[in-house]
Amino acid sequence: MSAQGYRVLLVEDDPLLAAGLAENLRAEGLNVETEGDGNRAVEWFEHSSCDLIVLDVMLPGRDGFEVCRALRARGTMTPVLFLTARGDPADRVRGLEAGGDDYLAKPFHLQEFLLRVRAILRRWDWYKASTAPAAAATLRFAGNEVDFHAFRGRSWNGELQELTEKEAMILKVLAEKPGEIVSREDLLERVWGYDVFPSTRTVDNFILRLRKRFERDPANPRHFLTVWGVGYRFVAESEPTAAEGEP
Amino acid sequence: MKATRLFQLTALLLVVVSVLTVCWWLFDQQHYMAQRMQESRQLHAEQLGAANALLAAGVPAERVEQLLPDLTIREGKAALSASVDARLAAERRRRLNQYLWEGGFFLLALCACIAVIWRALYAEAEVIKEQDSFLALVSHQFKTPLASLQLSLETMTLRTLTPEQLRTLTERMLSDLTRMETMVSRILDSVRLSRGRVDLKREAVPLASAVGRVVGQFEERARKQHIELETRIPQDLQVLADPLAVDVVVRNLIENALNAVAPVGGGKIAVSSRRSGTEIELAVRDSGVGFRPADEGRLFEKFSRLESGAGGGYYGTGLGLYIVKRLMQLAGGRVAAHSEGVGRGAEFRVAWPAAGLT
Repeated sequence: MSAQGYRVLLVEDDPLLAAGLAENLRAEGLNVETEGDGNRAVEWFEHSSCDLIVLDVMLPGRDGFEVCRALRARGTMTPVLFLTARGDPADRVRGLEAGGDDYLAKPFHLQEFLLRVRAILRRWDWYKASTAPAAAATLRFAGNEVDFHAFRGRSWNGELQELTEKEAMILKVLAEKPGEIVSREDLLERVWGYDVFPSTRTVDNFILRLRKRFERDPANPRHFLTVWGVGYRFVAESEPTAAEGEP
Repeated sequence: MKATRLFQLTALLLVVVSVLTVCWWLFDQQHYMAQRMQESRQLHAEQLGAANALLAAGVPAERVEQLLPDLTIREGKAALSASVDARLAAERRRRLNQYLWEGGFFLLALCACIAVIWRALYAEAEVIKEQDSFLALVSHQFKTPLASLQLSLETMTLRTLTPEQLRTLTERMLSDLTRMETMVSRILDSVRLSRGRVDLKREAVPLASAVGRVVGQFEERARKQHIELETRIPQDLQVLADPLAVDVVVRNLIENALNAVAPVGGGKIAVSSRRSGTEIELAVRDSGVGFRPADEGRLFEKFSRLESGAGGGYYGTGLGLYIVKRLMQLAGGRVAAHSEGVGRGAEFRVAWPAAGLT
């Protein structure tokens, strides 16, 4: 996939590393803007937008996790690739919980960095393309309604549901193949990429969150069904039988 | 900090139990004394009855008073002596006081023990915190230049570059190596200094030439970053210090100033010196990012890295000014920092004992 023409905001306080990354991203045909401060990165989004944020974690002003949370809180769903000096799993999970899409520990290989950038842009591209037609932008099932553009929905009881980018993407992947089994690995690949998460249990947690939002009885799901040992199946209308199993 | 939490709860429990114990002692004593008084009153009532019977039987009053010393005979009738009640009340007070003092002392000793243990735990927690900061610092300070270095090398391997681009990458890699080298030196210096493992000389060091040497090494960097470096050191000033330590102090102060001015896109650094009584003061004034006056105390702490108000990133390694402070302490000198506020520059002053005018 060509990354030509995409706009990337690079938020890195180290001028030498920022220069090296920006040059390489530009060499890939991307338009790169740089910021060296967490607060200024958030302000940048008040007047601009981009297709990807490459975000350092240790930043002056406010750290990368806070920047990501602030952006997500105000509805900016642009994918985030975290760069950090810390690479321990707890920190990795923190980054992803803050709304990040991928996480790369310093020092990293240039090819891996570019691969991840391309993968994120490809997934984002798929999401935007698959939700572009008016018919595909909204999903309605069993009294629930989800707007894939606004990352927002309304559940069967009238409650407003603010979806995270990942929740929306999982729902989109499942809803594309109603009634068909989608494996956990498939979901990981389509929504996150390859080795971001240590286990497929993460997908299970996201499914639980979707059930809480849209199932009348999350303990006995009728729309987000588990297929033991394989993955999940989305059923738009209630099936007479309950779930085929629990995770 | 599981151990600290457990200790806090145990200490709280001990204090509560001790307070309850002392309260119980007081209550028990009160109760015991009330009982004693009751018994005593009963005994005295019986004695009164007996005395009145003896008086009625014609026993002389003096004899009755001899037999029952707690009673007095007035106008042919026995009565309880006034001193008896007072004696009992005094006994009650004495016992209560004894327990109050003993209990109070007991509580005080317990609190002192808890305070001592608390201090030890706090010191241990501080060490752990410092170690964590150290690890975080090492992570950030090394991994970032390392990442930059790796990126430059891989860019060279993967891409076809023009000679100009190659030169830029080589310069960048050299800068990364210098950053790491500086960091290693500073960490080693700070560890040695914090453990007091330094043997500093005390000799007359001409300040002008010491400052001149350091400034000379930073001139190119200052020029590239559009920073004017001005030095005004009278030639006759000599400080009583270790020449290497003076070099490190001046180097760290100038580097700190450069790091503070660079984020605002350039400015001025003025290094000046003067004799003040028995001391020689060196002042490094910059037009950089400055700091909040409230942060003055934190500046010289180990691993404290203040956020630059102008948004140029955390500047410094968090060790430079700590090293300055420790070296100045060991040299019998002093350090001070002042800024009008963020974005308004700063002034760092150090003072060594003067080695005399030449």
